[in-house]
Amino acid sequence: MERQIINKRKRVFSLQPNKNPNALFTRRYVSHLVPALKKINMNKSSSKTNHQSFEKTVKHEVDMAFALSAQEFAWSRFLQQKLLSSPHDDLISTSSSPSEILERSSKKQGGEKHQDRDEEGGEIKKRLKELQKLLPGGEEMNMEEILSEIGSYIVCLELQMIVLKSIVQDNTS
Amino acid sequence: MDLSVLDRLKWLQQQQMVSPEFLQILGSDGREELKRVESYLGNNNDELQSFRHFPEFGPDYDTTDGCISRTSSFQMEPVKNSGHSRAISLQNKRKPEGKTEKREKKKIKAEDETESSMKGKTNMSNTETSSEIQKPDYIHVRARRGEATDRHSLAERARREKISKKMKCLQDIVPGCNKVTGKAGMLDEIINYVQSLQQQVEFLSMKLSVINPELECHIDDLSAKQFQAYFTGLPEADSKQSIMADFRSFPLHQQGSIDYSVMNGTKDQTSSSWETHSQCIYNSLRTDSVTNFFSLK
Repeated sequence: MERQIINKRKRVFSLQPNKNPNALFTRRYVSHLVPALKKINMNKSSSKTNHQSFEKTVKHEVDMAFALSAQEFAWSRFLQQKLLSSPHDDLISTSSSPSEILERSSKKQGGEKHQDRDEEGGEIKKRLKELQKLLPGGEEMNMEEILSEIGSYIVCLELQMIVLKSIVQDNTS
Repeated sequence: MDLSVLDRLKWLQQQQMVSPEFLQILGSDGREELKRVESYLGNNNDELQSFRHFPEFGPDYDTTDGCISRTSSFQMEPVKNSGHSRAISLQNKRKPEGKTEKREKKKIKAEDETESSMKGKTNMSNTETSSEIQKPDYIHVRARRGEATDRHSLAERARREKISKKMKCLQDIVPGCNKVTGKAGMLDEIINYVQSLQQQVEFLSMKLSVINPELECHIDDLSAKQFQAYFTGLPEADSKQSIMADFRSFPLHQQGSIDYSVMNGTKDQTSSSWETHSQCIYNSLRTDSVTNFFSLK
C-alpha cells in the first residue's frame, strides 16, 4: 500500500490491463521500442555510422516493435519474417507515390463512363492488388482474409502513430 | 397442415434435444401452441443472439465455431422461428458449404410480415424440406424470389455477403468512407488511408532518428504508464496534459489535416467485440484528447 502511494506515478490504473486490445498493443509497442532505441543510442556512440544507416536501423526497430506487438494477426507474422530475413531493405513500401494515386483516380474516372459489371470487377481487382502490396503478407491472402486483416492493421498503425508522435513530442519540447 | 409440423417435431425429438414437455405442448391444440413453441425457441435463441456479434477478424474463429456446434440443433426449426435463427444460420455458413443443402431465407425485413403467412409458407416448404432433411447439420434456407437455388450461386451469395459485412466494418474504421459508395471507391479510400498512415510512420521514424541522441533522459518518463492512462480514460494530470498541449502545434506538414480527421472523427460502434473495444475506447481517447486540449486552451 505504501509502495503504491510512493510510486503513484508509475502505478497501473487499469485493473484488467490485458482486456483492452488498444492498450495492450500500445503497451507492448512501447516496451519493445524504447529499449531498442536506447540500445541504438548506446551503440551509436561506440560505432561510427553515417546518418542514413542510422535511420535505417531506427526504422527497422520501429517496424520490429510494430510486428512484435501485434502477434495475434497474420500480417504481423509476415512482417516479422520479412524483417528478420532482410533487415536492411526498405520494407514498408511507400512506393505508391502521389503519381500512382493520380493515375488510379484518372483510370477510375474513365471506368465510370462505361460502368459494366466487368469493368467494375476489374477495377475492384486492381485495387485489391494494390491493397495486397500494402499489407505485409498480402500476396498470400485471398480477398476475404485481406479485408479481415486490414482492419486490424489500420488500427495498429494509428496506435503506432500516436506513440511515435508522443515520443517525438516529448523530446522536442 | 399441422400434422406435418408435428411430424417434423417428432422426428426432431428422435434426433436430439427437443424436450418431452415441448412435445406435450404441441400434443394439444395446433396453432396457439405453435406460437408458444416459437416463443420457447425464441427464448433459447436469445442467448444465441449474443454469439451473433462475433468479430469477423482476429483470432475468434474458434469460439464462433464452438457456437455453431451449439446451435446446430436449432437449425431444424428455421422456418418456424423468428429472425434469430436465420441470422445464425446465415452465420453458420462458415461450415464447408459443400456439405449442406440450402435454400436461402428471405431477409429479416420480409419476415416482419404476418406470422400467418409465415405459417402458410411453413406448410408449403415443410413437405419439401422434410424430404431434404438428412443430417442434423444441414442448413435450411429459403430461396429469394427470382433467384437461383443451386449450390454454387448460394455459396457465391454467402461469400459476397461476408465480404460486404467486412467492408462495412472497414467503413467504420477508415475515416471518410461514409461518403463514398461502392466497393471500388471504398477500397480506394482504404488504400489511400493506409498509404498515408505508412508515410506518416516513416516520417515520424525519420524524425525520431534525428532527435535520437537526446533521448536518454526523457525516455524513462515515457513509459507505458502514460499510454495506459490514455486508454483507460483516467486522468493522469501532468504527463497527459503536457502531451496534449503540444499536439495541435505539432507540425506534420501537409499531412496535418489527415491527423485531425483521425483525431476528431467519431465513428459508429460496430457490433463485434474486438471492434467495440477498440472503437469505443479509441473514441474515448479522441474525445478525451480534444476535450483536454480545449480545457487547456
